[in-house]
Amino acid sequence: MTHYLRPGIVLPTPLRIMVPALLLLLGGCTNTLVVQGEFPSPQVNQLPITLAVHYDEAFRGHTYEEKSKDRSKWVITSGPAQMQLFNRVLPQMFEAVVEVSEIPPAEAEVDLILAPAIKEFQYAVPRETKVNVFEVWIKFNMQVFDKNGELIADWILPAYGKTPTAFLKSKEEAMNEAVVVALRDIGASLSLGFTRVPEIRAWLEQHQRAML
Amino acid sequence: MVTRNNDVTCTIKTVLLRVLLHRVWLLGALLLGLQACTSVVIDEDRRGTTDLQGDESVVVLGRRHASDYETEPELISCIGNTLAGGGRGINVISEDDFVDQLYPWFEPRTAPMKVKDLDRLLKQEYLAKAVEDYKVRYIIWVDGNTETTNSAGSIGCSIGTGGAGCFGFGTWDKESDYEVTVWDYKNLKTMGKISADASGTSYMPAVVIPIPIIARVQASACKGIGQQLRSFLQPEVASTGK
Repeated sequence: MTHYLRPGIVLPTPLRIMVPALLLLLGGCTNTLVVQGEFPSPQVNQLPITLAVHYDEAFRGHTYEEKSKDRSKWVITSGPAQMQLFNRVLPQMFEAVVEVSEIPPAEAEVDLILAPAIKEFQYAVPRETKVNVFEVWIKFNMQVFDKNGELIADWILPAYGKTPTAFLKSKEEAMNEAVVVALRDIGASLSLGFTRVPEIRAWLEQHQRAML
Repeated sequence: MVTRNNDVTCTIKTVLLRVLLHRVWLLGALLLGLQACTSVVIDEDRRGTTDLQGDESVVVLGRRHASDYETEPELISCIGNTLAGGGRGINVISEDDFVDQLYPWFEPRTAPMKVKDLDRLLKQEYLAKAVEDYKVRYIIWVDGNTETTNSAGSIGCSIGTGGAGCFGFGTWDKESDYEVTVWDYKNLKTMGKISADASGTSYMPAVVIPIPIIARVQASACKGIGQQLRSFLQPEVASTGK
């Protein structure tokens, strides 16, 4: 038994099934990535305050899904890696850190409450930029509240990471590295820049005076 | 009879094909061992006398702040291996270990751009201690990259019932451009600069199988930089040839 794709080309039965399946597979190809990385502890001066940190569900499980039909499909889950970074960086920045489920926390005695959120996630692949690197931009929104839940500071922290398309490295591995570099960048900005935020600096000065 | 003649013809064809394929594979294996030529130009600008003691170390770091390129991590580790290898090898701290240990002070956006900026960083005791624990004497910054500048030709491959094969010819040029700056951590001075320009053209003829004749431009730049750095850091070893 023979089957005809078009006049003159005869396909045997196994190929008749395999060719459309392969085309379907190629057409619906999605790059799925759960970001994996190790983050070092920052070498910074520790602030003598107790910080509560509140991660909402959107932050914990943050997943970016590219919806544009003009771009290659990517599903990037960065939530667990973000949590890992913050849990590594914050204990080095503050004397004590507790995780809370609500603002203000009912159960814990704290000085400040930090609530990080992701406002934007963007990426570029070499095919789009003609530059042989994968790039990632993440825009974080940092909100800091006092122990009563009053908003003290609200600012945007941009993060950027890029990694070259290394030989014998998959697209997923290259993108993973770019996200990890971007997360390291946010860790650097947060740990070095936290006390430079004017509202935070004012609060710290006031807190110091109150402690004297 | 006709059938038999056909069989004989087929047998002769098979033998000829086997001999041909055997020669193609031999030729391929021979060509696979070939490398295209590269040229490397190294310039050195020495601004002071280096004095690396036996227990002191160096760290080789890549600059990563440029928006349109990234100094390749594999080049940094290659230079480190060249410095550490051979007789009287230099103690080289791994880039990843150093950058992680001093996080977040040597990240792409926070790394000091001038040697004088080190002074500001090292006023913080924990940073100074971390660097001293490594016994770092020289910090070596590498900035630049290797890129494909030109390519031409085409190779077509096809698969059929009789087998698969490729035919065509491809060629591409690669250029490396690196600048190396050596900082003296002890005296907070720039001890010198080394620049390396390398270029080469790779070829890929394909007759049944593609045979890559690769110009290892980045590897040549790495070797050139590594050897020049060794003589820069250990001038007495270079002059005696030990």
